[in-house]
Amino acid sequence: MLVKSERIELNKRRTKTAGWIEKFGVYIMILVLLILGTLISNKFLTIDNLANVVHAVALLGIVAVGVTFVTYSGHFADMSVPGIIALSGMVAVDMLRYGLVVSLASGLVTGLMVGLINAFVVGKLRANPIIWTLAVAFVINGVVRWLYRGEQIYPDLKAGEKLATAFVNLARINIGGAVPITVVVFLVMVIIGQLLLTKTKFGVQLKLIGSSYEVARMTGVNVTGMVGLAFILSALAASIGGILLTSLVKIGAYYNGVGYDFRAVTAIVLGGVSLAGGKGNMIGVLGGVVVIGLLNNILTLLGVGTFSQTIVQGLVFILVVWFNTYSLRKLGKADG
Amino acid sequence: MDKMNKKFFQVINNYRIYFLCSLVFIAMAIFVPNFLTVYNLTNILKGMSLNVMVAIGFTIVMICKELDLSIGTTLTLGAMFVIGFQPALGWGWSLLIAVLAGALVGLANGFLVARAKIDSFIVTLGTMTTVQGIIFLYGKGYALNATDFTVADWLETPIIPFLPPRVLITIVLVLLFQVLLARTRYGRGFYMVGANRETAWLAGLNTEGYVIVAFILSGITAALGGALFAMSLSSATPTIGTSSLMIVVAATIIGGTSMAGGKGSILGSAVAVLTLTILYNGLTNLGAGYEIQILASGLVLAMVVLYEAYALYRADKVKGQRPELLKEVRMLQEGSKGS
Repeated sequence: MLVKSERIELNKRRTKTAGWIEKFGVYIMILVLLILGTLISNKFLTIDNLANVVHAVALLGIVAVGVTFVTYSGHFADMSVPGIIALSGMVAVDMLRYGLVVSLASGLVTGLMVGLINAFVVGKLRANPIIWTLAVAFVINGVVRWLYRGEQIYPDLKAGEKLATAFVNLARINIGGAVPITVVVFLVMVIIGQLLLTKTKFGVQLKLIGSSYEVARMTGVNVTGMVGLAFILSALAASIGGILLTSLVKIGAYYNGVGYDFRAVTAIVLGGVSLAGGKGNMIGVLGGVVVIGLLNNILTLLGVGTFSQTIVQGLVFILVVWFNTYSLRKLGKADG
Repeated sequence: MDKMNKKFFQVINNYRIYFLCSLVFIAMAIFVPNFLTVYNLTNILKGMSLNVMVAIGFTIVMICKELDLSIGTTLTLGAMFVIGFQPALGWGWSLLIAVLAGALVGLANGFLVARAKIDSFIVTLGTMTTVQGIIFLYGKGYALNATDFTVADWLETPIIPFLPPRVLITIVLVLLFQVLLARTRYGRGFYMVGANRETAWLAGLNTEGYVIVAFILSGITAALGGALFAMSLSSATPTIGTSSLMIVVAATIIGGTSMAGGKGSILGSAVAVLTLTILYNGLTNLGAGYEIQILASGLVLAMVVLYEAYALYRADKVKGQRPELLKEVRMLQEGSKGS
């Protein structure tokens, strides 16, 4: 039988460990995956391979950073992300004939517009964020198919060889001759995102909104504006990702970005951002994205096909969320 | 007068889907050539039956205030299994396997939502992806074909005018579940669980059981719908159910099921699917392509969600206001001005 104070001490320690695991658990997973990968194949622990892993998930990371704001604010996820990726990419290709700057700007503005609509409907009118953003995704899908008659568009046919090369090379720039631009953009966005979440009024208020929307509103936080801003940032990040993806695959198409919604949420949840809102950080999301990359890489090295990889991803996702919810309940921070 | 007006609009709003359906039907009958033919009307009924079937389970889940995003892939799973197992086992067993697979997906969803207490949106997003992987793994990404076509002929030939067996089965299931949900004590429980889980639990309902059953039903109806659809085509593709999720979500919300739970009807969802199917059929007959269909249903869904959100927003604005007191104040003010 423990004395009361001892028991509190023990509980405290337990809570501390649980909190620590929640915050940095994803890096333990990375470590385990690294060890596993090394044991499986001697091709795994090479700079080339690891650089490939990061390169492969950089685009996903860019999108995930944006969606993190939405999740952090307790609004689950932005399901319109695949639509924004496709639309902004296609608009960028379509506008390429007026020059590269116009093309990039119009791609970003397109994303911004969708973000503004989401911000108004979810932030101001308080529509169900999942159903609304899902509806937006459907509408965008329809609009894109209708505008381009369900066809793909090619930069060189739209704007001529010279501009097309410039656009296509955009995602192929290597900074310092070694680091791909997508990775740089991703890392920069993680840093900006982390600063936004921890060092600004926006981040702190978003945390309060995520923890309890009503309390935040009663406290006088501009909930409409802050939630709106989260959706706008998400859309903006998705359009950056969309332009880079389109540049990388050299085709603007309505199916670009399919599956990014689910994979972004997976990365976010893996990274320890609570779906209940108000918890987590960008460094964790960075880890979550890397875990997805490592997992796919190891499965490929094992000779597991793409289809089975999807299954593993789904199962890992459910398991992690399960663990997450379970530990939250143990901490007494979720009801039920 | 004001009160009557308000009541009138309430009635219209409550039965909006039936008005909408008649409106769309009349419009199409007027503007679309060859719309009112036996052949075309039968086609519409055939076109609706897959999504109506899927909507039955989805509506029950939504009444419970949960969401099931896995219906699209579950219906594809049902379609792939029923065709895939037919050559070896015959139709009876393959249909059973397909429906059981759907039930299993539903059970997994229900268990994770009700017992592990994970948000249904997340759970079904996960199972959606997992099932998608299983489908591609099972069919290796190719379409599957049946070797026996007699069932397809039987399912698709009308036995009474307008009504082939596949449509009949769908209609019977809709009526069955409508009665079950609206008229039986057990069925009413779903509404209670959705409206307020705490109260339902305090009232002695097995809330976890209800949620699990709702998800199992959703899995079963999705798989059954997919299986019957594939049987009538004698083949199944891994992308057979991609557009269903959107149409079913749209129809369920248009049909009056509330996203806040505890409100809605299966008949409403079924009529909403019928409305959308009539809309597609008309648009297709007018020469519009598949992309217009997607755009139309997306827009309809967005409009309805927007309208619902706006109505709630308005209601929230005037919450706690007492119009009769305000009127009195205004009268007093006018009175004081007059004197």
